[in-house]
Amino acid sequence: MKVSIAWLKELVDLKVSIEELTRLLPLRTIGLKEVTDDFIELDMKGYNRADLLSMRGVAREVSAITDSEVKFTPESQFVWEEKKLPKVKVEIEDNKLCQVYCVAKIEGLKVKSSSKEWVKKLIDSGIRSIDNVTDVTNLIMLEYGQTIHAFDAAKVADETMIVRLAKGGEEFVTLDGKSRKLTKEDLLITDPKGILSLSGIMGGKNSEITGNTNTILLEVAIFDPVSIRKSSQRFSLYSEASKRIQHGLTKANLMQALSAAIKMYEQLGGKLTAITLTGNLEDIPKKIKLTQEKINSLIGVDISPDQVKSSLKKFGFEMSLQEGQSQTWEVTVPYWRLDIAIEEDLIEEVARMYGYEKIPANELKGELPEKVDQTLPNFIYDLKKALADAGLTEVQTYSFYSSKSFSILQPPPSTLIKVANPISSETEYLRNNVWPNLVEVVGRNLRNGFKDIAIFEIGKAYTPAENGLPAEQYRLSLVICNGTENPISEFSVILSAAKNLIKLDPSASPQDDKGADDTRGEPEKRIFHPTRFKNLEYKGKVIGALAEVHPRILNEYRIEKRVAILEISIEPFMS
Amino acid sequence: MEEKINKIQADYLSKISQAKILEDLDKIFLALFGKSGELTLLPREFSKLTKEELHKVGPLFNKTKLELDKEIRDKRNEIREDSYKKLESETLILQGVALQGIALENTQAQKRTGHLHPLTQFEKKIADLFCKLGFQQYDGAPHIDTDYNTYEALNIPKDSPARDLQDTLYIDTKNLAPQKDKLLLRGHTSNSEIRIMKEFKPPIRMMLIGRCFRHENLDARHEHTFDQFEIVYIDKGVNMGNLQYLSEYFLKEVFGTEIRARLRTKYYPQVEPGAGIDGLCIFCKGKGCRVCGNVGWLELGGAGMIHPVALLNGGIDTSKYSGLAWGISPERMVMLIEGIEDIRLFRSGDLKFLQKY
Repeated sequence: MKVSIAWLKELVDLKVSIEELTRLLPLRTIGLKEVTDDFIELDMKGYNRADLLSMRGVAREVSAITDSEVKFTPESQFVWEEKKLPKVKVEIEDNKLCQVYCVAKIEGLKVKSSSKEWVKKLIDSGIRSIDNVTDVTNLIMLEYGQTIHAFDAAKVADETMIVRLAKGGEEFVTLDGKSRKLTKEDLLITDPKGILSLSGIMGGKNSEITGNTNTILLEVAIFDPVSIRKSSQRFSLYSEASKRIQHGLTKANLMQALSAAIKMYEQLGGKLTAITLTGNLEDIPKKIKLTQEKINSLIGVDISPDQVKSSLKKFGFEMSLQEGQSQTWEVTVPYWRLDIAIEEDLIEEVARMYGYEKIPANELKGELPEKVDQTLPNFIYDLKKALADAGLTEVQTYSFYSSKSFSILQPPPSTLIKVANPISSETEYLRNNVWPNLVEVVGRNLRNGFKDIAIFEIGKAYTPAENGLPAEQYRLSLVICNGTENPISEFSVILSAAKNLIKLDPSASPQDDKGADDTRGEPEKRIFHPTRFKNLEYKGKVIGALAEVHPRILNEYRIEKRVAILEISIEPFMS
Repeated sequence: MEEKINKIQADYLSKISQAKILEDLDKIFLALFGKSGELTLLPREFSKLTKEELHKVGPLFNKTKLELDKEIRDKRNEIREDSYKKLESETLILQGVALQGIALENTQAQKRTGHLHPLTQFEKKIADLFCKLGFQQYDGAPHIDTDYNTYEALNIPKDSPARDLQDTLYIDTKNLAPQKDKLLLRGHTSNSEIRIMKEFKPPIRMMLIGRCFRHENLDARHEHTFDQFEIVYIDKGVNMGNLQYLSEYFLKEVFGTEIRARLRTKYYPQVEPGAGIDGLCIFCKGKGCRVCGNVGWLELGGAGMIHPVALLNGGIDTSKYSGLAWGISPERMVMLIEGIEDIRLFRSGDLKFLQKY
């Protein structure tokens, strides 16, 4: 959210400098992305404060944290109330996805460019000025956080608005000129003849405001946030409108926004000639119980009841003491704070007004927990340490098969875990062996001039399991490329350095082991040296292998030297 | 000129066919295509030719170049394949008994200086640090987990805008055992929380150290694979003052006594209240510099009081107990301490980088 500084000053009688405000905002409210002479950009990614997506909401927050007064008062009587007006024809087929739907007809408009003041407000807020009629909708959205859309009435068949879900196979050209294929989950605004808008996300080319527009149908609505979020994701279409709907809209705000918009159009010479308000237009105020004891125990500081009251009042909460109890309040949440749902939310409000930075450090008290088995983390560290002491360098590589290893080694995809939405082909398959990544590391370092490479990684390998979650196994992978014709022979010494941790069975390891493990399958025969391959066992079970990588495979990795690998599961040693 | 080209071709084809080892071919390749190789220099003489001659010589020259290049490559493969046949006669010399744990003399083991990965070193250091406060390591949560354990149980519902913070990598479950829920690569170590709460009774003091994943394009500051260090503390009367204590304790031990900690309001859906952890900028000590963007403070981590929804999902009695979660990025800490500018170095396997530590 880009907050126009000039606009903010119209809404709040700011008692502090902008420098002080930009110091306070991250401490009390929200992080800042950018600050310029014209705007302050709030870092809204993932945030839950719907109210901060509107200038009025920001103004209220700024007023609370800087002890300044807001300059606006909510309207108590709306422009349409004293008039007897006909209705715009509206049909709503899905009340769940569209709780509130209001349309106002405004006649007598003349489309031209906007005033300098409007253009400046829009530019500060990061929005392009289009024309006076369209700009009103964006200015209202920015000020109130309520999305609003103007249709050219002449292009709406029978001046009838219908809210419905798309049928399968429908297509629609949005304002950005792109044709969109609709699914049965997309909510639409249509007229009796065709589609006018992708509800809450983007309007259509066909009913766009043009130079000839003189009558508009102005739509304000509350659509279901989840439905809009899903449609947005399906089309990868994230508009200013859809963002606000996802965070949540309120009815009180909707009425304010509609009334303000009509007034702005009246200033442009327009006249309200028909209006339809559907749905329940009252917000249900949330009430939450708050106790002094919980405040103090969760924050860890004694905050006086007076301070609690004044903090919450500044943010717009109303408080009343619960009968017969001196330190328990019933707190009424202001309608614009959709993010407040439980007592802890209120405590956060108290804490941020108090200032997190003033909360003193409290030492951890209470009994120490019982001992938990630390064998695995200790084993992993001790093993790393022993191998480093033996002269090896620890590396850490990605948990994925690189596309290069994948194409060279051709592991059958059925043996691998696949990522549904990979970032690229480099993150498409999770590794079921660690060593291929280490062979790549060897290649890279050889090309960087290293001649003697002895590395290891302790990390996880991932494989499908018969039931439940996929299997994850901690593996030790050792890779040696020492410039000799028989790098495997180093493993004996290296393993002896970790002999207290890695205790392989001595079985079946004659000095000269030619062809001993020829039970291996074809892929292993292709990947590894014809004779230098051996399964490694612990307590009679195969837990891994050592091998020299076949030079033909290494050649594909652009490695001309001999490379030996050893890979074993380490969990068997835990039991 | 045509004759000259034909002669080069004939000469070198014969040389190539006589080559015995790859080095011979390297020499031949250089003699042809190197800086002053015969085929490299030849086109300089083309300026003397007439148009008609050039019409003939040009295609011939190109054809010869391609042919010789291919011959060299084919011969290379032939020599390689020959050498592969010899592998059959090689033996596997394990110095077998060594597998029982007895080193043999006369081995080829080299004297080298070993190195632990900088993240291993840092994580060990902070694990020891928090061990002194009674925290123990928990490694019971998988990297591939259900959506429920990772997000929903922690008050991060599906289809809420808070999911924008996660950028999740999902698992394709088509070929896996039937699953009741979406599977994903965990975006934080907090998928341990729900398991810890179910496995242990308060008081709980756990440390989670492990690999996490995010749908993120790589650059010097962004990684799709990263470590997290997280603390989970659940007991009677756990409060925000404890967050401040843990932050101070950590920063003083890791960055030195003058680095103060400051909490700041921050939204994370899994905690309430939520807090950002700032440390006084370690470069300018609060004066303001390029690294801290002139504010004097650096964002170092995230924390908060565990959300009551998460506690309840874990079976914790919220009328008796409260809890906190506190976390930092080991990569970010090591980058700050060591002045590392590119986060990708950690998983590059670049020995020039790794052997500095």
